[in-house]
Amino acid sequence: MPSNNPLPPKEKALFNRIVKCYEHKQYRNGFKFAKQILSNPKYAEHGETLAMKGLTMNCLGKKDEAYELVKRGLTNDISSHVCWHVYGLLQRSDKKYDEAIKCYRNALKWDPENLHILRDLSMLQIHMRDMEGHRQTKYTLLQLKPAQRAPWIGYAISNHLLKDYDAAFRVLEEFRKTQQSEDAQYEYSELLLYQNLILRQANRYQQALDHLRDNEDRILDKCALDEIKGELCLQLNDLKSAEEVYVGLIERNPENVKYYEKLEAIFMPNTTEERLEIYDLVHERFPRADAPRFLPLRFITGELFETRLNAYMRRQLTRGIPPLLITLKELYGDASKVECISKMAESFVENLRSSNKFDPSDESEEEATTFLWALSFYGQHLDAIGRHDHALAVIDEAIAHTPTLIELHLARAKTLKHLGDMEEAAKAIDEAQSLDTADRFVNCKCVRYMIRNGQLKEAAQIASKFTRENVTVDDYALEMQCMWYELEIALSHWRSGRLGETLKKCHEVDRHFHEITQDQLEFHQYCIRKTTLNAYTRLLALEDELRAHDFYFQAARIAIEVYIQLHDEPYQDGDNDQNNQDTSLTSAELKKLRNKQRKADRKKAAAEKKRQEQDRLNKRKQQPPKNQKAEDVNDLKKEDEFQAEKLVSCSDPIEQAQRFLLPLELHRYESFETHHFAYRVAERRGKFLLMLRALQRCRKFVDEATLPDLHLCKVRFAHKVRHTTELSPLISDIIKRHKVEVFGEFEDGEDIAVSLNNEFIKQYPNSLAHQYAASKAMYYMDESRQKDAFSLLLDFSSESEHIDLKLCQRIHDSLRAKRDYGVVQSAVMKEFVSKCSAIFPVANVFGFHRAAITPDHESVNEDGEDGNCGGGGGDLYQSNIKQTDQQLPNGASHQQEQATN
Amino acid sequence: MESKKKPRIELGEITYHNIKQLKRLNQYIFPISYNDKFYKDVLEVGDLAKLAFFNDVVVGAVCCRVDVLDGVKRLYIMTLGCLAPYRRRGIGTALLKHVLDICKKKRHFQSVFLHVQINNESAIKFYQNFGFEIVESKEQYYKKIQPTDAFVLRKTFHGDDDEMIEKSNGY
Repeated sequence: MPSNNPLPPKEKALFNRIVKCYEHKQYRNGFKFAKQILSNPKYAEHGETLAMKGLTMNCLGKKDEAYELVKRGLTNDISSHVCWHVYGLLQRSDKKYDEAIKCYRNALKWDPENLHILRDLSMLQIHMRDMEGHRQTKYTLLQLKPAQRAPWIGYAISNHLLKDYDAAFRVLEEFRKTQQSEDAQYEYSELLLYQNLILRQANRYQQALDHLRDNEDRILDKCALDEIKGELCLQLNDLKSAEEVYVGLIERNPENVKYYEKLEAIFMPNTTEERLEIYDLVHERFPRADAPRFLPLRFITGELFETRLNAYMRRQLTRGIPPLLITLKELYGDASKVECISKMAESFVENLRSSNKFDPSDESEEEATTFLWALSFYGQHLDAIGRHDHALAVIDEAIAHTPTLIELHLARAKTLKHLGDMEEAAKAIDEAQSLDTADRFVNCKCVRYMIRNGQLKEAAQIASKFTRENVTVDDYALEMQCMWYELEIALSHWRSGRLGETLKKCHEVDRHFHEITQDQLEFHQYCIRKTTLNAYTRLLALEDELRAHDFYFQAARIAIEVYIQLHDEPYQDGDNDQNNQDTSLTSAELKKLRNKQRKADRKKAAAEKKRQEQDRLNKRKQQPPKNQKAEDVNDLKKEDEFQAEKLVSCSDPIEQAQRFLLPLELHRYESFETHHFAYRVAERRGKFLLMLRALQRCRKFVDEATLPDLHLCKVRFAHKVRHTTELSPLISDIIKRHKVEVFGEFEDGEDIAVSLNNEFIKQYPNSLAHQYAASKAMYYMDESRQKDAFSLLLDFSSESEHIDLKLCQRIHDSLRAKRDYGVVQSAVMKEFVSKCSAIFPVANVFGFHRAAITPDHESVNEDGEDGNCGGGGGDLYQSNIKQTDQQLPNGASHQQEQATN
Repeated sequence: MESKKKPRIELGEITYHNIKQLKRLNQYIFPISYNDKFYKDVLEVGDLAKLAFFNDVVVGAVCCRVDVLDGVKRLYIMTLGCLAPYRRRGIGTALLKHVLDICKKKRHFQSVFLHVQINNESAIKFYQNFGFEIVESKEQYYKKIQPTDAFVLRKTFHGDDDEMIEKSNGY
């Protein structure tokens, strides 16, 4: 071990003990030994010991001192691999992986064959996706330890990840020769499957098939074996073998939809009849299987569809399958099929109601549960096709029939939600929840509805039925990375104008994704040790696309909206409600004020930061050097927590928005919304070329529903370009070149923005969504035309196109928050609300409250007779009885009850 | 067409998780509502209270309690009922059989009894089928429903009465 300052044997032994203590997490003891060595004046500045002391202290939560010590150690002994390694470990624990890699490399300069460091390095390299470097390191490891198994597998994986399939396969093949399949059967089987995956990815299907057949007996996952085999036979056009394999697979599991697709690929039916025959054959063989009954409904039509649907629905309704609608939902893209389902469900309900039969010509009667499920399905169906009022009536009939069926209350809640009556919906779902408090699904649904209804306290109380004791629901959700909950809370805060709290939740979700990425560090070694290589490569692929997940998208969407809002209208201290804004200022004055405010904020933020830094240092110094791990952890946690006030008063909201936007551009490229956000952020950052790029991308992914958004961006962009004088010639040249492509043909000097908007208004005179966009554009271009903008916006009725509750709610929010039109006169607001409430008569947002009209369900039912169940012998309930003379009404229970014959 | 399956009737435990289902059932079946104490006590009686599932849907229930008079233990049926659309499908029978089975297994019950409104002929007949007899009539038993009078129906067990229970199962 080359070091400038070797220790004598006694100290050397102590030093080794420090290392051992570190490895066994006995940091206190390690710390003591380090002090012992350093107390000898001869070795007071011994580099490696200082470094180890620092590393130990880092684990005791003293990061700043740790850095100080490790750096001092390194300066004293710059050519020690130990010092460099320690510095690397310290950086790694601080998640500075790039820096850590550099340190490891330096350490290896002084000790190129140190296995420990090589392993640590390779792990970080794969973590940071330095694939070339990773392969190099793995190669070195393999050369050093060719007798162990991990280096072989590691080297093979590194080749695989670089798509060098040939090398990867050969390395594994060599390695396999040395392995006896008897002792580690499962690992060996995984290894074979992994090897096969490599062959398939290299498109060497024949070789893969041969490899599979040669090793068939040693592959333990028989289902995977057959699935791969079938796939390969199909690829190689060996249809006969493929058929054999897939028939075998269907024998094993006749419900796997994928297998049927393969069967179709094998038989290549020319007509619908031939296609249907495949399914009918399987149906004959497996009469109880669902898939061969359902799947043909996808492609058959007309009378045939009707007959098959009839049989399918009868069977499911008799069996009592609650999610029948969810199964059938995929057929709803076809209007004629929807029509058919509507008619059939309606006639089933009618006939079952009147005669207990699906059809009057049926011989036998159905059970009462069949009618119940028919009602349930019909109600959900009506809701799904937008006939919410009718749906509610049907579901209410079902509840009167059987009040204990929880699914009905869920359906009722959902329908009410669609009608906009969130208050009643929350009540309905609470009823569902209370009927079975052990059902976590219903519990979560209830929490979600209550949050949407603004009942945060009640929601937390319901949620706490399933969360750990002594922990608040919010902390629990944070710890469990329960993102749907956090996102609902974020939305709720946003609706109430608590922007800081909203951002806090968004950042928490963002951090979960960060944590998930970090957590993969644990798997690099673990998966190789356990030989779960197929899963490991899938994990790496998943991590690379992690932020494509919808939860991230939702969090980013909210965060970006809020940051844009904060940019347009900076947060004012202590003002949590955007409605309190002083309305007497003109927008120009407001802007000035905002800029001033922002500057002040920035100063304040900087000062605040400094102060906190100081605080933290002071706190550190005050901390007693005791091993209070729990306390340390708690402290760290608090420090890490996001603070709403700080987030909302950030000095650079638009840069924050940009930060949330970046992953979307990477992972959600094909979404219009991503580029719509990109435009809006770029516009606020004053980046014309980015605006142009975003517009072009928007155009690529625009559809009917997003057209109004695109229009507004186009108008704003054209307006901005026309009214910006200091555009550099280069930029304006580029914009000119793309003008026609983005805007279409316009005459020179024409105000494109105005023309575009006028054209748009003419083109979509009868669509609220389009009018909304156009009126916003109108106001944006010329604030003096506010009146015209409003009359354009308010020119809608229930007959308008693209009118739905969500859109009206959005417009309502915008008016209330003065987001798009500046200050809104109360008369405008009133007119908008009254028009909306005529179209959505039970929507809470437009002023409807059921509770104010009818007494709620509970009190109707429990009205009147209360608390009377004494009994024939000895009045057990006497103390609770208000009207003591009333006795147990037992006999009433048997009004119609009779013994069956 | 598949052959028609017989409906499944099963009894299930009442727990604090699903007690609200019992509450809803009672609200729909009986003209009078019960107080919170009733539901609290039901959770304590174990097998003496059961929900009835018909094709996996909760449609009926029975609730009994032990009644001790002069040191003699008797079983009292507080409620036994089933939602209207599910009547005449054997659910009441299943519930009552369950009660009688308990009496049969735990031989310390001297009798099982209950109250029935005097005009409730179908109920009276139902219990008579299982060997219950009218032993008493109580005037002004009910306050808010008409008629207010009730019969007391009782089935007494003698040491070797098991046979009779067996027989009545056939009905």
